[in-house]
Amino acid sequence: MGGAGGGDVKNAVWMRALVMAGMILGLSIAAYVALGVVAADMKHQTWTDEKADYADAKNAYDEAVDADVTVENNTDSPIFVDYANAYNDKVDAHLSYLTYRVAGLAILFVGIIFTAFLAISGLVNSSRPDEDHDDHHGHDEHEHHGSASPIIFSFGCLLFLLGFPEFADGLHGLMMGSSKGTIADLSLSMIGLTVVTVGVANWWREDLPFNGYGEQLATSDPFNGQHIRKAGIWVFLMSEVMVFATFFSSYLRMRTEWCTKWAQDDGKCSSDEPIVLTASDYLRPGGGVVDKFGDSVGDFWTMLPGAVNTFALIISSYTIVLALKVAKSHDYKAPGGFMGKLMPTKKAAIRNYLIITLILGSMFIVLKLVEWSHLIAEGFTIGTEQGSIFYVATGAHGVHVFAGLLIMLYMIFKAETTEWNEDNAQGIEYFGLYWHFVDLAWVVIFPAFYLY
Amino acid sequence: MGEHKLIMGKDIYFWNFIVLMIFTLFEVGAIFFEEVPGTEIAISITAVWAILIVVGIVKGFGIAAFFMHLWDDPRIYLRVALFPTLFVLLMLWGIGLSNPEGVTGLPGWCTPNWDSLVTER
Repeated sequence: MGGAGGGDVKNAVWMRALVMAGMILGLSIAAYVALGVVAADMKHQTWTDEKADYADAKNAYDEAVDADVTVENNTDSPIFVDYANAYNDKVDAHLSYLTYRVAGLAILFVGIIFTAFLAISGLVNSSRPDEDHDDHHGHDEHEHHGSASPIIFSFGCLLFLLGFPEFADGLHGLMMGSSKGTIADLSLSMIGLTVVTVGVANWWREDLPFNGYGEQLATSDPFNGQHIRKAGIWVFLMSEVMVFATFFSSYLRMRTEWCTKWAQDDGKCSSDEPIVLTASDYLRPGGGVVDKFGDSVGDFWTMLPGAVNTFALIISSYTIVLALKVAKSHDYKAPGGFMGKLMPTKKAAIRNYLIITLILGSMFIVLKLVEWSHLIAEGFTIGTEQGSIFYVATGAHGVHVFAGLLIMLYMIFKAETTEWNEDNAQGIEYFGLYWHFVDLAWVVIFPAFYLY
Repeated sequence: MGEHKLIMGKDIYFWNFIVLMIFTLFEVGAIFFEEVPGTEIAISITAVWAILIVVGIVKGFGIAAFFMHLWDDPRIYLRVALFPTLFVLLMLWGIGLSNPEGVTGLPGWCTPNWDSLVTER
């Protein structure tokens, strides 16, 4: 994002932000009611019924074992089979309930954050008259685009992270109603979040009138002649590589010491040694986690959210490239059929490709939280070494996706006001670089944590 | 940029997307099958590892080279992108240095030659 520059923003920005925020909030509340309340209540009833069936089947099995000891764990016995099936149905019903409940709550959570982001940023942006947005700096290659917003934003992140351990403990204590958590525990992180919000809102205020012309060029080596913002985003992305390399090398460092099912099957550790269960043991078919009947808990369905997320990120990488391609095109021709109705004009095509990307990214977050809820329900928590590195690494990646979604929301908002072409579409290109990086990080994380 | 190069009427972005989707299918599929479909050839852990690494490299290349435009952009961006590789490799090598099994339990490529470090008296 650039600093203040030329362009036209002569509409009621605040009202447009409010309408967009209202639509998102309305859709997320509707999705929450449909998934998190109506469907989840039905699933909860099914779960309650399955629990009752399981209790009956267990009683019948216990009585049968008391009467005839050969029935115990006898897979040929109909009573044992009924017992095992009732257990599996109970577990499936619980996970199914969690899926709908968590999906509904996650959509509501994402919707509220999107709404707050649009409303606050729109409000800040409307704090100066419309005519101030149009400063006619035009195509001056040497104009100044400096902004203090990234520094404000970074300072907010610093405060938030400094207070995060107390914040997490305090929030957990407050939610559980224990005396350990107090409001004071949340203070530092909340101040940090407020500073972050101010930084982002101010960034938006500065960038919205900037139409992309007048990109500053570097005047010395090694980037001589290159766009300064592009060099900046690449350096930033490489610092992000180091962040993820830290997670990855920590994981490998721990993993090489663990006696996992993989290692045991491969003869790397003794079969007498207790197995360390990793996330992939819970997720992939034939993983190391078995239920009390000896069946692997990992199957096609447990792997599905991670697999779908992998495809969703790749498709979203493609849709943002398509948004860039359309933005840079000279003579946009609407495609035929349904796509023509979806993308009738160049502006609508750019905006709608970005909206599709936003939907896919939001789906990634929702499925990620659903998957986490299943893992926690199965007993894979952050309290273990393997849980800690899994949740921190995949959580950090999720935070990056979420931050990207907020920027995307802004890009969708901006798509209404900017006439993009080959000379000024850098905003989409540079944001696309970030989004592709997030995809690239997932290319490493997915096989390492989910498949291996 | 990639939209100007056409292969069979479609730009490089499209073909890159198709390749990424196919390789992702391949990647996820490798986990679901214990044998190569239609044969009795078992898929070993080593084979799965190899598949995951090869697929990861291909996908990473596709995203970085074509979606992120490193293939066409000035070489300075490629050099920036490759710069952290040195540090990443050092960090991975550090696993060997810090692992209690670094001397005997890990492959030679990630362990230093400890014998050469012994002080001769």
